[in-house]
Amino acid sequence: MDSRSKSKLGHLLIAKSMAEALLITAVSVGFYFVTTNPYLRGVLDYADNQTVAGWVVDEGQPAARVEVQLYIDGIFMADQTAAGYRPDLREARRAEDDWHGFVFNLPPVPPGDHEARVYAAHAGGAGARRTLQLIGKPLRFRVTGSEKGGASH
Amino acid sequence: MSSVAKDEPQGDARLTSDAGERQLAAWEIASIGSSMLIAEWIGASVAGGSRFIVAIPITLAFAFMIVSHRLHHETLRDLGFRFDNFLPAGLLLLLPMVLVAVVCFVLGRRLGGQTNFHAWHAGTPIAVQLALGFGWGLAQQYVLQGFINRRAQLVLGKGWLSVLLVAAVFSALHLPNVWLAVATFTGGVVWAAVYQRAPNLFALALSHALMTWVIIATLPPSALHHLRIGFKYFS
Repeated sequence: MDSRSKSKLGHLLIAKSMAEALLITAVSVGFYFVTTNPYLRGVLDYADNQTVAGWVVDEGQPAARVEVQLYIDGIFMADQTAAGYRPDLREARRAEDDWHGFVFNLPPVPPGDHEARVYAAHAGGAGARRTLQLIGKPLRFRVTGSEKGGASH
Repeated sequence: MSSVAKDEPQGDARLTSDAGERQLAAWEIASIGSSMLIAEWIGASVAGGSRFIVAIPITLAFAFMIVSHRLHHETLRDLGFRFDNFLPAGLLLLLPMVLVAVVCFVLGRRLGGQTNFHAWHAGTPIAVQLALGFGWGLAQQYVLQGFINRRAQLVLGKGWLSVLLVAAVFSALHLPNVWLAVATFTGGVVWAAVYQRAPNLFALALSHALMTWVIIATLPPSALHHLRIGFKYFS
């Protein structure tokens, strides 16, 4: 093998490596957008032993209602469509209409410290994948006997 | 494996190399291996099994191998696309194939499997099954022997070291299916050793097809996890 062929082969290997690196990058970015909705905005406002409330807007589709799921201490509790009345969102220009809030009414929760997390459900890959995205930050609340414990954002 | 060199007395000048060529050959092996791994793992998982995405690294690999053969001045005959040594290659393969078939049959019985020669591509005639298997085997053996084995010989020379390297690459491409990796390592050793003595890809492809057919026919599907590899292993 002459030096010119070696040089060509080396360049070819570099080009192939770069093409594959670009492919992996493109697939990774594509995967992110398929499994994640970067336009979701929302906040978990309040959590106690009776209710968990907040709002969520899909800024990519402002008129759409987002499905949300509530987890307490990592255990699924309930789901609903975030379509509750929240005029403050439109006033703050976070939404185009007043209907993006959610309020979960909790079943009895045992005494102790608990954590509430609300996720937005996102269907991607033509329905092949369904992923959950955390809305806002998790809120912790304490239940002491019959007292009502609460935490607000 | 000292007999390997004796079996090809005429030698192949294209399988001798200097240090630079050895480094390039090692890089070529790594490059083709990485293309296959990208197809198996990235294409089948992140891209959701998209055939288009899987086809990109495979196409890149085949295009690269063709250009590499040209730069190395390798002919189709050099690679093993020939018929003159079909019989010697077939004879070398015969005993290991019979042994593997017997082992598979006994193992299948002990694992409670029932021999079913229609299990591979169920619903199609056995001749069609074998024809499909031959085509798939030829593609795999071309990559494994026609390219990787030849480059491994540039890096490590003829003999056990290069044979083991080829088998290790072949086996690694079947991970994380551990038992299939063990089976392909065994097959890889036999096929690579036979290729170095009698480079004939048609005989190897036939052997590949027959062995796959026997394995599927005799071993219960769960034994080799339905032959799933890469990310599909977990699905």
